[in-house]
Amino acid sequence: MSANQSGSEHTALMDAVVQQSEPPNYGTDRQTRQRPNKRTRSSVPVQGTGNPSRDDPSPPTVSRSPGQYDDRARLNDGTGPSGQEMYMDEEEELKYGAKHVIKLFVPVSLCMLVVVATISSISFYTTKDVYLLYTPFHEKSSDPGTKIWNALANAGILLIVIVIMTFILILLYKYRFYKVIHGWLILSSLMLLFVFAYLYLEEVLRAYNVPMDYFTLAVIMWNVGVVGMICIHWKGPLRLQQAYLIFIAALMALVFIKYLPDWTSWVVLAVISIWDLVAVLTPKGPLRILVETAQERNEQIFPALIYSSAVAYTVVGMADRGGETTGDETRPAARQAQRQERGQSGAGDDNGGFSEEWANQVTHAINTRVLAGQPGNYTASTENAPQQHGPFMEADDEERGIKLGLGDFIFYSVLVGKVSSYGDWNMTLACFIAILIGLCLTLLLLAIIKKALPALPISITFGLIFYFSTREIVKPFTDLLASEQVFI
Amino acid sequence: MDLGKLKDDQKLDLCRWYFRGGFAFLPFLWAINAVWFFWEAFRRNPFEEQKLIRRYVILSAIGVAIWAAGLTTWIIIFQTNRAEWGEFADKISFTIPQGIP
Repeated sequence: MSANQSGSEHTALMDAVVQQSEPPNYGTDRQTRQRPNKRTRSSVPVQGTGNPSRDDPSPPTVSRSPGQYDDRARLNDGTGPSGQEMYMDEEEELKYGAKHVIKLFVPVSLCMLVVVATISSISFYTTKDVYLLYTPFHEKSSDPGTKIWNALANAGILLIVIVIMTFILILLYKYRFYKVIHGWLILSSLMLLFVFAYLYLEEVLRAYNVPMDYFTLAVIMWNVGVVGMICIHWKGPLRLQQAYLIFIAALMALVFIKYLPDWTSWVVLAVISIWDLVAVLTPKGPLRILVETAQERNEQIFPALIYSSAVAYTVVGMADRGGETTGDETRPAARQAQRQERGQSGAGDDNGGFSEEWANQVTHAINTRVLAGQPGNYTASTENAPQQHGPFMEADDEERGIKLGLGDFIFYSVLVGKVSSYGDWNMTLACFIAILIGLCLTLLLLAIIKKALPALPISITFGLIFYFSTREIVKPFTDLLASEQVFI
Repeated sequence: MDLGKLKDDQKLDLCRWYFRGGFAFLPFLWAINAVWFFWEAFRRNPFEEQKLIRRYVILSAIGVAIWAAGLTTWIIIFQTNRAEWGEFADKISFTIPQGIP
């Protein structure tokens, strides 16, 4: 169990870092292009909010799909910074956010769905027999006072472990022990993909009374596990990588649900989201240090543990590119020139009429917003690469879109799964909606504040409030209504 | 990751890597290879490495088909004969259905 725990810890930590640059294996070109952006990053928030004093008239709009926003953007271009324009800027940014919120809803919902389905169909994950090493108090007593005391102690121990792991990770990162971190990550995902997936498969087969022989099992486990490692840590289709990340998060959530005592898991959820808040928002918070270091170094965060919503554009990018641009890809200068040319010629291009500066400015304006989750948790960030221009857009696919750390997935799912283990679908739905609302609000804040934000506190608080209020108020009320035969 | 970011020779390397990796009893890799590089191999305008990529994609697809056929056959044989094989079947069984309690 301890190994497993450390794995999760680990996951949590890694995600906090913003995925800034691309993996070293490909595209040296992008790195060179990005560096200038980095330098101006400090000015980002100012530009992004539409500061009237800036002399460039072009709006920092994020026109995600050129077709949709183009007219507006064009309208703004050249009109100078007026109040109305600023208003529009804000509006467009929010729209951009909303679009991507929806994109995050899908994976988050999928993850919760997997957990809820598993919890409600497989009794293995709800029976309490073994507990994590970190939770020595098992809440065996029937006295609520003792139970509360046990839960608090367990959560405290778990929190201390998490804090220590966070600091170890930061130290490793700060002094550039990348190999160690990668090894750690690979080991933990290896465990999840092989050991816990094996247990999961066993329980699923048992629950559904499906016989299976060892040969088939070996083929399935070997394929799923190895391909998972390849996709997560090396190169694989984005969709598949996302699917694996969701699966891993769901497995981890199931482990938490099974191996944490009942009350402890509620206290842990509360404590973790507070820790998340502290770690991301305080000036010396570990996650904040992590994020800032990553930005300073202009580095790509370990590919494993952040979910990126950037998918749809990949397809478009691929469609756009014939063989034509490929030759230039490693030569930034050539590309730059090409881009400039397009910017000037305008006609026939999606960005028609927009200059190179415009493109650059937009790039600077929205560079990074991170929503970092708890130590473990995982980070959500929006990064935009607003170059929409035809063949170039694919270059930035990997870093556009919102990123949410796997830890957020895990703890959201823990909450919903935990609720569903009590077998009441009203409460499950209430919590599901509460979490999505919380996620919306967090992303809204992200669009306004434009820096790393913890993704857990709002959602988890909402979830807890919804759960306990539904249980204590709504349920007795509806029960009463039902027994009195009153229909509303 | 995104294929669109790779240069053609890198795509070929990746495709070849996936194809070779598939021989380590990893038909799943072949399946991915066949689907992932399908567009490159058959839909795109001709380019230098396309011939090889196409070859790997086709071979991968054949490999997957063979694996799928073999595995399906084995599973059908096992499932239909499990009860008759008695002790031997139990020995090679990972899970034995126990019925609904």
